[in-house]
Formats: sequence, structure tokens, C-alpha cells
Amino acid sequence: MARILIPTPLRQFADKNDTVDLPGKTVGEVLTALTARFPDLKKHLFNDEGKLRSFVNVYLNDEDIRYMKKDATPINDPDTLSIVPSIAGGFDWSSRG
Amino acid sequence: MIKIDRGPWREMVNHAQAVYPNECCGAMIGTIDGDNKTVSEALVLDNVSAGSQAARYELRPEDLLRADREARERKLDLIGIYHSHPDCGAYFSETDLKNSCPWYSFVVLSIQKGHFDHANSWLPNAEQTEAQKEELIWPES
Repeated sequence: MARILIPTPLRQFADKNDTVDLPGKTVGEVLTALTARFPDLKKHLFNDEGKLRSFVNVYLNDEDIRYMKKDATPINDPDTLSIVPSIAGGFDWSSRG
Repeated sequence: MIKIDRGPWREMVNHAQAVYPNECCGAMIGTIDGDNKTVSEALVLDNVSAGSQAARYELRPEDLLRADREARERKLDLIGIYHSHPDCGAYFSETDLKNSCPWYSFVVLSIQKGHFDHANSWLPNAEQTEAQKEELIWPES
């Protein structure tokens, strides 16, 4: 069992829940349970190939699962999963007036 | 529509002017009522872009995680991200688009010769191919 924190803009696709408790022994199982319960969330988190979108990071408590065992990272009740985007940017020198 | 209260707006402008000629970045926290967002707090975050930060910014995901937790503790929402374009317009660049996330509002502040000039808010799509301009209201706008 893990508690998933739903980012504000995605709550509209999760019956307005800000947190959801779902079963699973690994991160992958919990994420599968999440999109099974709220199918509209799937396209916001996963691309057409079923992989997490490039800007989506998943944290188990305070750790990025990419530096753990990714989807196979084991869950220990009461772990918390957070969905956090990667964000960067900057202007193009050619546009500087 | 996104409206920014006076306190966070001052914080954002002061931040952008203080780090000029580099880019700044931070998070915006507040409330959402349908399509109407009100920013009541700005969180100054580190620009961790490697190399020159004159035309680049990058947020630590861990900082966004902290911002989201702070918002939840105060019964508020993480609404968006702000960053600055030094001596450049407040457009949503190709680099902004390719490193964006469709979940949040992206406010860009144009800082010209060290002083705030104008700002825009953008809503990128999930494919990171385009961003729509969002109505932005700030105290002196």
C-alpha cells in the first residue's frame, strides 16, 4: 500500500482527490493501480508507448525512483509517492532584441 | 486567467531584477477556482542550470516537491512556475517549450537593462509543441 500525492492540475482526472491510497508491492504496481482506477490520468503521465512522459519524475518519499530500482522499487507501507515534473528553459539568443 | 497578488508579484520582480543579467526561477502558490488562478505566494528557487545562466534556467525536482508539500500544508495549490528573460521579450521560447510541463502556468518576466519591462503567462501542451497565452493580471497591469 502506498499513498500517492496527486498534483493539483491532475486532480480533475482523479475524482478531485489530492491523495489516493492504492495497493501494490512495487512502484510500478501502484502506478498501474492508479491509472486503472483513474484511466483519464494515464495520458497525462504516460506516452503512447506506455512509458512515463519525459517530464514526469516519480519520488518515493524523498528519493527519485530512477536512482532506485525504477518501476521495480519495492513499496513499504506507509510510503508516499509523489509525481514531480522536470522543468527548465531559457530564451534563444537569436530572439534578443 | 492567472492573477498575481501584490506580495508575490514584488517578490518575483525583485528576484528577477536581483539575479539580472542571469535568469531567475521560482514557484507560484495560491488557489484555483475553475479557470481562475490567484497567486498568493511566490517561492524563490535556485537556478541549477549548469554553465551560463544568462539564457538558461533549470529547477531541481526536489525543490518543486518541497514547494508542493508547502502548498499542501497551507491548503493551497502549486499553480505555476516563473522565470525571467534578461534583455529579451516574455515569449515562450523553443527551449522553454521543450522543457515544459502542461500541468502548470508558466509566467515569463522580461527584464530590460536590469528593470522589469513586461510579463506573459503561458500554458504549454503535453506534446511540448506549442503554448497558449493565458490572461495574466499583476498589480500594476
